[in-house]
Amino acid sequence: MNKVHVCKSSDIPSNGMKTYDVAGGLKVLIANAGENYYAYQSTCPHQDVCLGEGFYDGSLLTCHQHLWQWDITTGEARGLAEAPLESYEVKLIDGEIFVLRASALKVSDLFAGVSDETLEELNKIARREEHKSGSIMYSIGDSTDDLYVLETGRVEFQIGRDDRTSAAGFVLVKGEAFGWAALLDHQPQRIAKAVCLEDSAMLRLNGKQTLQVLASDPASGYLVMRKLSNLITRHMTGPVGK
Amino acid sequence: MKIQVNARNRAHYFDSEAGQSILYGGLKQAVELPYECGSGTCGTCKAKLISGDIEDDWPEAPGKKYLKTPDEFLMCQCTAKSDVVIEIPAFVQTMEAGACTPAFLAGQIKSVKTLTHDIAFLEVELREPLEFDAGQFVLIKVPGVPGFRGWSMVNYQRHSNTLEFVVKKKPGGGISEWLFGADRVGTEVEVFGPLGRATFYPSLARNILCIAGGSGIAGMMSILARAAQDGYFTQYNGDVFFGVRSMKDAFFLKEFTSLREQCGKKLNVTIALSEEEAPASAVTDYPQLAFAKGFVHEVAGHHMQNRFQNVRAYLAGPPPAVDASIRMLLQAKMTTDNIRYDKFN
Repeated sequence: MNKVHVCKSSDIPSNGMKTYDVAGGLKVLIANAGENYYAYQSTCPHQDVCLGEGFYDGSLLTCHQHLWQWDITTGEARGLAEAPLESYEVKLIDGEIFVLRASALKVSDLFAGVSDETLEELNKIARREEHKSGSIMYSIGDSTDDLYVLETGRVEFQIGRDDRTSAAGFVLVKGEAFGWAALLDHQPQRIAKAVCLEDSAMLRLNGKQTLQVLASDPASGYLVMRKLSNLITRHMTGPVGK
Repeated sequence: MKIQVNARNRAHYFDSEAGQSILYGGLKQAVELPYECGSGTCGTCKAKLISGDIEDDWPEAPGKKYLKTPDEFLMCQCTAKSDVVIEIPAFVQTMEAGACTPAFLAGQIKSVKTLTHDIAFLEVELREPLEFDAGQFVLIKVPGVPGFRGWSMVNYQRHSNTLEFVVKKKPGGGISEWLFGADRVGTEVEVFGPLGRATFYPSLARNILCIAGGSGIAGMMSILARAAQDGYFTQYNGDVFFGVRSMKDAFFLKEFTSLREQCGKKLNVTIALSEEEAPASAVTDYPQLAFAKGFVHEVAGHHMQNRFQNVRAYLAGPPPAVDASIRMLLQAKMTTDNIRYDKFN
């Protein structure tokens, strides 16, 4: 994505925020914090509420609907929030604010907090793929070689076989990781089928290579493993089954 | 009708009876579908129809302004006409064991009494007792008025056959005009509940702060009743701020006085009057209560200064008052997990 002009830096109140609908369908929130400007998705990842109607004190952004909060410098979830905000890179040129869309790896919650160097190593092993709606990414029993990070579109999961299948959730947010069995030991086979429900783009990372990159930077690797265990337990919460 | 809900984490399956909204059908089978008002105003229960037929019982519901595409609908207002598959872009769990699962109950209006010129106190007698948590509400449907309306319980007993409510008379407000329009004692009503997450349990072990405007005080009374029954205020502070326009709009002052007598000095009740100074008679008639002029969030912010540590706040009332209170609490650096409310628009 090329850089997109949003507004003048003087349009944003000091330690304040504004939301913009930019040509091309980009909805973006620009916030000022002292010397710096930040750009995020302008709707709450919870229920699409406009974040411009929320509360912002110069460091913490709060959605007024259910009080989800984010750190304005990183977009990371705070307090009740269950998902981070999608961030954009900000370029300030002669008092004009431009934004650039960040890579799916960079906005992925799974890799939040990973050092820039390690993120670059991960970027090197990531292959970008585009799939048409209806494409099957993997089926039950396939080997769990690769991890996927969604860029655009939507991927749904099904468990069970033949006519006894059951929907098992879906991913639709940029940076959401799936196929994470690739990072686990003793999980050689897929237990769900993954199907694109829309034309989708994603990054594909080999699991073993990913683990090697993380092993070379244990501080970053530790953070990823914490995120991974949270991701797995989230799917375990509550009684399972019909 | 069979309902399949595709959520971000898994699918849920439940049966919905004819004429029953998809939201109520799921909740009564312990599927924790997203909702807040349950009555068509807040938009929180929106979902997307993937397949099957639904009927919208209230096409003009104000909550529909939150819908973005034609295949989105409000689960609280729509009933299934065939087996349906719907999608909710959120994590949906089943309710924890021990939670009060909502159900449909039959009841009868037992008494209606006037509290002020536009507030009534209402008792509904249920055929079977209802287990609910302090701070919860139920949805009520009366004959001849379409749809359900959310009212918070005033009382608190573990298993109660009688539910007490506070109802404000609103011009054009279907159910309130119905209630104020004639003698309704003895009328059969339909009840669905309990609902709502702004609940209080004595195990909270924090000071509690209640900020309510007008009829929003109802749920606070239930919280205070439960706390008083447990001797909670021997150990923790309770600060209650009740906002009304003027003395003629104030009610429950005798109830607050007896709560204060029962609970002692750790429970403090302040009546915030937005349009007048408290008359001298109020101060002499209710020496146990405090009176202040101002909007309830301002009065609360002022009185609570430097006392926001270890506090759980409960908010209720008109949405602008709740929003102003949230802003005040966030500025006071309260964490969001200790700010509880259920929004009714």
